[in-house]
Parts: sequence; C-alpha cells; structure tokens
Amino acid sequence: MHQTVSEERQADTTRLVPARAVTVQTARSSLPWRQFLAKFIFLALLWAVLTDFRLDALIFGIPAVLLGAGLVFILPARPGWWLSLRGFVEFALWFAGQSIRGAVDVAWRAFTPTMPLDPGFRSFASALPDGAPRILFLNAITLLPGTLSAELSGDEVVVHMLDTSADLDADLRRLERRVSALFGLTSDEEVSE
Amino acid sequence: MMLELVATALITLGTVFFIAGTVGLLRFPDIYCRLHALTKADGLGLALIALGLALMADGFGEVFRIILIWFFVALASATSGHLIAAHARRVDRERET
Repeated sequence: MHQTVSEERQADTTRLVPARAVTVQTARSSLPWRQFLAKFIFLALLWAVLTDFRLDALIFGIPAVLLGAGLVFILPARPGWWLSLRGFVEFALWFAGQSIRGAVDVAWRAFTPTMPLDPGFRSFASALPDGAPRILFLNAITLLPGTLSAELSGDEVVVHMLDTSADLDADLRRLERRVSALFGLTSDEEVSE
Repeated sequence: MMLELVATALITLGTVFFIAGTVGLLRFPDIYCRLHALTKADGLGLALIALGLALMADGFGEVFRIILIWFFVALASATSGHLIAAHARRVDRERET
C-alpha cells in the first residue's frame, strides 16, 4: 500500500498540474445555465461585429447563436484554464517572433539552390496535461523553426525536423515552459516545496 | 499615401512567402518537408497580407473580420498539417509490414 502510493507520486513528479482548475470545476458544473449565458453573450457580440450590426442578419444570427451556445449542454466545457493577460501577451509576442523565424528559415531552404535539408524524426516526452495545453503545444511545434508535430502516442510526441542537427530537446523544453506559464500550470515539484 | 505604401510593401512581402511555400512544396523531397513549407511559409505570407489589408480597411468591423480569418486559417493549417503527417506515418508503417 505504502509502496504503491510512493510509486505513484514518483511517476507524477514530472507531470504538470493545473494550479487553480479544481475550484473552477466545482463552481461551473453546478451552473450550466450561467455557462450558456456567457457563451450566448460572447457569440452574439461576435455575430454583431461580423455582420456590422445589421438587423436583417439576425434571421440567421439568432438560431446560430442559440445553437452554438446550446452546445454547452451536449459538450460540457472542460475544467476552465486560467490565462493571465500578461502571460498571454508574452506568449503571443514570443510566438510571433518564433513563427517569423520558422517561416524565414523554411523559405531560405526552399530558395537555396543546394537546398540544405537533413530531415528526420525525433520523439519527445511531454509533461503537459491533456486538453488545451497539449493541443496548443502540438500546434505551436508546427510553427516553430524546423519542427513539425507528426504524431502523438500517449505522452510521446513524434516530431519531424528539417535539420536533425538542431537541439530539439532544448527548444521544446522552452516551449513547454512557456505553455505551462501561459496556462498557470506549475510542476508538482514546485508545489510541494 | 504613406499607409498605402506600407500596406503594399507588406502584401508584396506576403506573396514572396507564398511563393516560397510553393517552391518548397515542389522542391522538397518528401511529404513531411513539404508540410513544413506549407504550414510555416504560407502562414507568415497570410499574416503579412492580412496585416497589409487591415491597414487599408475602413472601419473596425473589417479589421476584426480580417483578424478572425487569419486566426482560423492559422489554427486550421497547423492542425491539418499535424493530421496529414500523422496519416502519412500510419501509411508508412503499413507499407513496412
């Protein structure tokens, strides 16, 4: 008994856990209508801006917004992730810079007559939890210089690299840190300290 | 006038990246390398063209719609790039066995 608990903890020490998600979950699960209302307002505003506040467009707008917001009853949202505004701006700026570098890098390789490529696959074990953080991680890998997320099996991400001499581990650890900072995740080690 | 010049420069630069993506698509040796070219180069190309057009747009509504288009295309291209690569990996494995 004692042993299994310590084994579990050992296995979990490298995983990242949401810092605030638990309280959010209990607060939300009791209030699906509130979630519906929040989605309704958000979608209605989106529709209004998209159609330039045209009243006749509401013939399509009202049913579409109702259907979209109604999805919360069929597909309840996962426990909420908190995005800090500062974290978001920092991530967006860094990410914009990286994706420009990635595009310039691949354009340069395409135009160079000798076409400098040394492609291959590498795998990387991700500690990010399932859901939004991992989806963002996978999509971000594809836009970083020289890397493409090719496959996900369990916690292993198979990454295709244009140039296998690049330091994949360092790059992806940095991205992982950025994604966990964005979602307000802390690793277990930090929590227990 | 100044704004139009900047917008034209951005749109021209954007098309250069679209051409780069297409050149990569034609020249790169396999499906995975080609996906790199399409997801990354075309993504920046679209962002530059969208930025150029947003500078010349009249009204906030238009700018907002351009931003939405950019956002959803970027999301779709990264996601479909991953899905195509995952499918290609499966096909590769089936051929080996």
